[in-house]
Amino acid sequence: MSTVDVAKKDFLDVRRAKIVWFVGAFYTLFMVLLVYFGQNGRSDPTILGALWNLTAIGAMFIPLIALVTAYLAIAGERESGGIKYLLSIPNSRRDVVLGKFATRTAIVSASIVVAFLVGGVLTLLWYPSPEMDTFGIMAALTVLYALTYVAVAIAISAATASRSRAMGGSIAFFFITSVLNVFGPLQLAIDYVLNDLAGLEVSMNQIAFVQSLVSPTAAYVNSTGLAFPEGFNTIPPDLPWFLQGETMLVVMLAWLVVPLALGIWQFERADLG
Amino acid sequence: MAAIQTTGLTKRYGKSILAVDDLDLTVEEGEVFGFLGPNGAGKSTTINMLLDFVRPTEGSATVLGLDAQADTDEIRHRIGVLPEGASVYDRLTAREHLEWVIDTKDVDDDPDALLEKVGLTSDDGDRPAGDYSKGMAQRLGFGMALAGDPDLLILDEPSSGLDPAGMQEMREIISNEADRGTTVFFSSHILGEVEAVCDRIGIMNEGRLVATGTLDDLQGELDLGAPITLEVATVPETLALDELAGVRSVTVEDATITATCADPSVKVDVVRHVAEVTTVRDIVSEDVSLEQLFNTYTNGERDEGAATPEASA
Repeated sequence: MSTVDVAKKDFLDVRRAKIVWFVGAFYTLFMVLLVYFGQNGRSDPTILGALWNLTAIGAMFIPLIALVTAYLAIAGERESGGIKYLLSIPNSRRDVVLGKFATRTAIVSASIVVAFLVGGVLTLLWYPSPEMDTFGIMAALTVLYALTYVAVAIAISAATASRSRAMGGSIAFFFITSVLNVFGPLQLAIDYVLNDLAGLEVSMNQIAFVQSLVSPTAAYVNSTGLAFPEGFNTIPPDLPWFLQGETMLVVMLAWLVVPLALGIWQFERADLG
Repeated sequence: MAAIQTTGLTKRYGKSILAVDDLDLTVEEGEVFGFLGPNGAGKSTTINMLLDFVRPTEGSATVLGLDAQADTDEIRHRIGVLPEGASVYDRLTAREHLEWVIDTKDVDDDPDALLEKVGLTSDDGDRPAGDYSKGMAQRLGFGMALAGDPDLLILDEPSSGLDPAGMQEMREIISNEADRGTTVFFSSHILGEVEAVCDRIGIMNEGRLVATGTLDDLQGELDLGAPITLEVATVPETLALDELAGVRSVTVEDATITATCADPSVKVDVVRHVAEVTTVRDIVSEDVSLEQLFNTYTNGERDEGAATPEASA
């Protein structure tokens, strides 16, 4: 399997890139701070609150980790010409995309898992009721969430010929699907298009569903119902099936598979001059 | 079977740029083929199409008898490539580069033997390639191309970044590989290195193959004439050298007489004739240089109406 050969070499290469470890360490630091301040000075601390805050911060921070780790994976090699070494030996273009996805996935997953392990240990030490179920499910959801952005970054990287375009594409995608989602305009825009322009009279729930389809961040936030007890914080009770956590998992899996497929398709037909 | 064969190979970028125009090229097995042309002539685009980095607009190419687009995996197992302008991985050592290529090709070369072959020391092999000079990186690229004892070496501008001694070593390695039966196809815009190692050359200009053949073939085809230069004690007033049969032109500069002969056998007549009227101090007899050939083909000095010489061996 030359996907494995591509991945082995890429891992050797990228693990020596300091920026990748830097953002990973930064996320772990976030985790430690939230877990610490979640219990500091409170008589009856609950880890659920800290995890909830982590979700809110992670909604925008996790995509950054993923994009920084992956956006140059292929475009950088196209610009430097290293791609010609990769493809002069028995590697197919699909091997290159999948191999790069595998390594960047491993690195991003590792940094999130490390952050949750550190946070988990501190939680066991500091909290009377550590809620390890919620902790574990949140870790898994967060890894899946990160991988959707890794897949998108790899796809953008595969479809662009230079570092600057890969960066531009990644920032644009991040801004629209994550920043605009978190601060609200994305939802307003969907509402405007579907209800005001098209006059479809869709409900807020349906808008939230469309929002989850176009934004992995929205899907991630809506999926947290799987981890938290029913009705916790702002999670509304009696959600329709299309906003249930399970549906959101499917949406996130689609965000993983579809961009990769598009990336492979684009890369296979590109001229690498 | 030809090591490389292209049929009507054409690459267009957009509507206006024709990078390679209807190229028919055959490189026979076992030969060293020099692919010449000025920068921008279409050499790299041709090589990129052979390696399936770039897809032809029209036409087709085979490498080792295999379709360049459909059979990339088998082709990549059997060839060695030194790409042009490709940077090695800064964070990997030379030995890691070589081990990676050896693993991917599924062969059992010894990385140290490859390092030695291209003139890198074992210490160099343990340093990250980001610390390398351009010449060292080029040597490493060459070592990667040689892994797995390929049947065909495709080298795009192999001497770029090398100093004269490095270029000399590169030529020696190419000759050694050729002696072992490897077909070598390399591009260059430096004429000297082609002259020394190639069995045949092809000259590209503006996307077209303007000439192919051995150096002798091309010289014969162009009929540039054979020059001879004599240094004499004094230039006699009545030289009348151009009246000699077979002499095309004569130039006299100080004490140096240069005659261009239609055929090299006329040179001896020139020497005899001049020796009768004055004292000859030195004789310099040259072949037509490749540079002269090259300029003739690429600067449009030839008659536009002349057909492309097909002097293939």
